[in-house]
Amino acid sequence: MLSRSWRHFYRRYSQSVTFRTTENSPSQHNENQTGLFYTMDKDLCKTLFSHGGFPRSFAKQTKTFTEAAVMVRRPALDVIDCIKASDLNKPAVRYLLYGENGTGKSLTMAHLLHYAFENGYLIIHVPWVSEWLRRLPRHKEMSNSATHEGMVDVPLDAAAWLFHFKTQNQAMLKSEELKISKDYVWSKRETTPAGAPLLALVEHGISRVKYACDVIDAIVKEVKLLSDSKVCKTFVAIDGFNCFFYPKTRLYTSTKRTVKPEEVTLTHSFLELTKNDWTNGVIVLTADQLAIPEDHAESFLPKYLLYKKGFEHIDPFVPIPVGRYTEKEFLSCASYYRDRLWLRGPAEIDTELKLASAANPYKFMELCAPL
Amino acid sequence: MNTLIPLSKNIVPVVANFSKPRWELISRHYARPTSFPDFFKNPVFRKEDQAPLVESGELATLAKAPYKPPGVSETSSAYYDPLVNKVINHVMEMGKKKLARSLVEKAFENIKRKQIERYHLASSDAEKAKIELDPKVVLHKAIENSKPLLQLTPVKRGGITYQVPGPITENRSEFLAIKWLLEATNDKERTIHFPEQFAWELLDAANNTGKVVKRKQDIHRQCEANRAYAHYRWQ
Repeated sequence: MLSRSWRHFYRRYSQSVTFRTTENSPSQHNENQTGLFYTMDKDLCKTLFSHGGFPRSFAKQTKTFTEAAVMVRRPALDVIDCIKASDLNKPAVRYLLYGENGTGKSLTMAHLLHYAFENGYLIIHVPWVSEWLRRLPRHKEMSNSATHEGMVDVPLDAAAWLFHFKTQNQAMLKSEELKISKDYVWSKRETTPAGAPLLALVEHGISRVKYACDVIDAIVKEVKLLSDSKVCKTFVAIDGFNCFFYPKTRLYTSTKRTVKPEEVTLTHSFLELTKNDWTNGVIVLTADQLAIPEDHAESFLPKYLLYKKGFEHIDPFVPIPVGRYTEKEFLSCASYYRDRLWLRGPAEIDTELKLASAANPYKFMELCAPL
Repeated sequence: MNTLIPLSKNIVPVVANFSKPRWELISRHYARPTSFPDFFKNPVFRKEDQAPLVESGELATLAKAPYKPPGVSETSSAYYDPLVNKVINHVMEMGKKKLARSLVEKAFENIKRKQIERYHLASSDAEKAKIELDPKVVLHKAIENSKPLLQLTPVKRGGITYQVPGPITENRSEFLAIKWLLEATNDKERTIHFPEQFAWELLDAANNTGKVVKRKQDIHRQCEANRAYAHYRWQ
């Protein structure tokens, strides 16, 4: 009897202690912290994720829990280890996160973004590619590109992204070292001269929305040059990357013709960025089933989602599978939810929840919601 | 609700009582006559209900008797709650139970989010202790608070219809509580979704405020006013 109560005591005690880590710096995370939650600073969340980056359900959760706590998981640690071990003078290494729906690809990416931010990378982060190509609000602004024949611009989205880019890299862009290599002539009266700061280019794109897509194209080229010349190191993160290779988009031209992704100028720029013909950079991509229509999302494997074209585009890449919770991670997550009052009831229901959710992080969260 | 009905109740009235419709004699559990003969028992599918049977040794005899299959939603899950199941059935239209369940669960989620946020905003421990975080408890409280104790029945005497106050059965008052809660919920702006409004109504009712509780109190007040007609119930 006594031993049993001791066991209960121990279990309760251990549960209330081991789901959190005080180590809030991703570069210090290691094997010992797998499965533990670390809290992201509020200001940091504002800088990095105020214009997207967290999945919507997680953003909601941060509001309810009054904190943004991310679990330290194997895939993120793997990538961080790889980045630490790799030589940045070699061509940029491409990491591809893939996995079932709701296993935490985007959150792994958020963790990596935090790492990049901490280590002074210039961040080029696309929160969700489908936002540009597949999501159609009532008035999607579209125009024919002036510079690229037969291509399509999405100027408003591009300007929004530029703003996102600016907020994420406020500190970096202030430094005077990031300079443009050549003159950009937008119109008769508008030019951005060589030697102007990169920030001027970004500002121009935001204030003159018409040129936003061309500005992004210019930024991509400049950032590649700057990284090559070791002025800065660059961290590229694109969520829902496979959307660039799905044969169709939901955009229509004025003649009601469906636009292909390769006809959108943004696609062109970001595909240019994900080539490995530049150095001093890290590229993290995700292949996501949710980025493309359901009827063509039968498998979560990269070769299926990226199609032949996409697979060949990023070909030497490091695949990083993001899986369901392990035993330890699940326990820690359940106790975290209990701590945050998201999950209540007797301890036995954890087993039932684990079975019902198949230890899928998103499903687990969903199942806890009405309890 | 889900306990077994004693054998005598099931069988004896079939011979004795012809005034009642047949299905009332067969089962309280199934709304309509089923394809199962009278002597089929209702299933005991929950561990809590099975435990006393195991203890008293009745289970051994029950196991040999034929019984009806439990419904799809009637599980031995730790989350199963008969009242919640009932509410889901009331929300359901055209047999779309999956949708109804998702709506009710979404409402629970909304309740939980609101309460957890209030919990974190509360300054003292005493305030925190007051906030009910379990949405199921909120639902139970809301229904308990919305149950009317009396009802008005129209009775025609001398060409005039009187609203006569009288007692109400437990079942009917529960039915009315759920019905009123849903009516109050559906009386909303088109842009507000059902789960959101339902969450508000439940929280209001659990707090003993809101439309539904007012409706109950109105009924009580009218019953009080019409007490002079009470004798029409038996005259």
